[in-house]
Amino acid sequence: MEDFKPILSDCIAGNQKAQAKLYQLFAPKMFGVCLRYARDRMEAEDNLQEGFIKVFNNLKTFRHDGSLEGWIRRIMINVSLEKFRKQHLLYPVEDVSVYDSVNYSDDVIAKIAADDLLKLIQELPPRYQLVFNLYVIEGLSHQEIASEMSITQGTSKSNLSRAREILKKKVQENLSELDAKNNCTA
Amino acid sequence: MKKDQNLDDLFREKLLNYEQEPPKQLLENILAGVAGKRRKRKLVFWRIAGVAAAILLAFIAGWELNDSNINSGVQPIAVMQKTTPQTVTKIFNPIAAQARNVTSEAQQTINKGNEASQSGSNTAMITNISSASQENKPSTEVPINVQTNQTEIVSQIKSLTPRINGNNQTVLHLQDRLIPVAKTEQEELSIDQQIMNQNKQMLSAQNEKTKKNRWMVGAQVAPAYNVERSSHSQVYASNMLGSTSGKPVDLGGGISVQYKTGKRWSFQSGVYYSALGQTSGNSSSFSEANYAMANNGSQSYYAPVNIDANSSKMTMNSSAGVIQFSSIPSGVILGANSADKSMVSAVIVSNAQFTQNFDYLEIPMILRYTLIDSKFNVEMIGGFSSNLLVGNQTYMEGSNYRSLVGKTMDMQTFSYSGTLGLGLKYGLSKRIFLNVEPRVKYFLNSLNSNSSVTYKPYTVGVFTGLSYQF
Repeated sequence: MEDFKPILSDCIAGNQKAQAKLYQLFAPKMFGVCLRYARDRMEAEDNLQEGFIKVFNNLKTFRHDGSLEGWIRRIMINVSLEKFRKQHLLYPVEDVSVYDSVNYSDDVIAKIAADDLLKLIQELPPRYQLVFNLYVIEGLSHQEIASEMSITQGTSKSNLSRAREILKKKVQENLSELDAKNNCTA
Repeated sequence: MKKDQNLDDLFREKLLNYEQEPPKQLLENILAGVAGKRRKRKLVFWRIAGVAAAILLAFIAGWELNDSNINSGVQPIAVMQKTTPQTVTKIFNPIAAQARNVTSEAQQTINKGNEASQSGSNTAMITNISSASQENKPSTEVPINVQTNQTEIVSQIKSLTPRINGNNQTVLHLQDRLIPVAKTEQEELSIDQQIMNQNKQMLSAQNEKTKKNRWMVGAQVAPAYNVERSSHSQVYASNMLGSTSGKPVDLGGGISVQYKTGKRWSFQSGVYYSALGQTSGNSSSFSEANYAMANNGSQSYYAPVNIDANSSKMTMNSSAGVIQFSSIPSGVILGANSADKSMVSAVIVSNAQFTQNFDYLEIPMILRYTLIDSKFNVEMIGGFSSNLLVGNQTYMEGSNYRSLVGKTMDMQTFSYSGTLGLGLKYGLSKRIFLNVEPRVKYFLNSLNSNSSVTYKPYTVGVFTGLSYQF
């Protein structure tokens, strides 16, 4: 693991060059994280900015026994969760009453670009988006998500399941568009 | 299930390490934000000092306007009524709001089906959920979730470390290394019982909150500088001690009790002891005191006195009122116009100064308004006090002696004063605070009932002490 101690102590001392360097090391990846949790690019930028200000202001509390990237990522996620709590308390949840079984072949969906997947995640209802991110990408258990978001495990499970259904449907639509495009160009 | 896994894998694979370059100007904003916070901390002191200076300036300006009334000869008693800004009471009923939320959310999120029966059972199920059993039976019950009030956020940063899951994929897992960053409290409700339970909890929490930490007791010492401020009738003034000055510093102090009535307003009372002193020197009417005996070298001072023919009591006009001597002090030379056999009007020749001390017990009624509410609190202070005169002495002081010679006549037993100040409060711990409060106290009525004298001094003091909140 890269030793960040010197740069961190410079950052804590308020050295702006060191802060810029640390930012540049982690910003692209963290922007990726923020984009996944945000509704759009602008919100992600806000969260990234707020997150990094928190990172720099709390750097002295970072213990060097864990991964710095993990610590920063956690701050970004927390900022995003906090934003969600503030903005989407009563956000209407898309009601998926019918479970369509969607069929697609794995090698075809592999063609979908990361950018498109990101867009699909951003289009999910906010709480589904969070649960899906925390469970699937971050690898948290339902128990952890439940305590993190102050919901029950049942809710977490049901939100995840609905998120998956929506995503499946959208992936399918996305593939159809892709196919149509390919056919046109062929 | 396999499809789910594929979908999950697809997203995880492509998005776990997804990177995108953020816009360039973001870095500048962040650095400015971090640096701004540092600068902000440094500026706090100067801001407070600025606020204090502005308030003081405003007060002095008001004072000067008020002062012109006193010197005009007319002697109205100016009662400065400090206007108290009206607080707008916002009535917010979180429970009612919550109830509305519950209704709308319930309508929106009556979810059909459940996770375990993904085969297509689309029977709508609204079950009556008991909070305890819900987590254990996710497959048979469909929770209807209601996000409730958002209060101050309480959450913690947990660090993520990689772990290897069953599929040999690195995923991030929560560990309990906690770093405080932002906090949140968010609750989830289901219908009926949970709402009721929640309401109960909120009510009791609210009650508890309102009961909490409303009282504060404290003890202060207050070195105060007295500024003499008086006006007199012409006759009185022509025969009065001159060069009066406030006594440099008097020490007062006391105990206070404070009750917080709202988020920003609090009421304070207590008992303070305060001393008011002034020193008077040579005569202002030297030309009139043209008595042979009085011409006793340039180092001496001439103090005009009156001696009552019947009681033989000597009196002397000071700016605060008439000083009555208990006896004619030893060591002074008394001179009188030879034509004035009764010695009604005489002078004493002495290089002594006369110091009048007044001690007051003060019961203040003070309103405090919090301007800045953080670890370092800043409050505006304004109010009135009832002052009970408990001590009244006049001393004659020379270069190497000081003796009690009498008292000031016609001093009011009760008088009223106004107070204006700034409270700076620093939390030493959760309950103990250090207070530093520069205050100006001005008397609203003349302290002396003699119609020829209007004596309304003011004091500038710094109340310093500790207070305890409970």
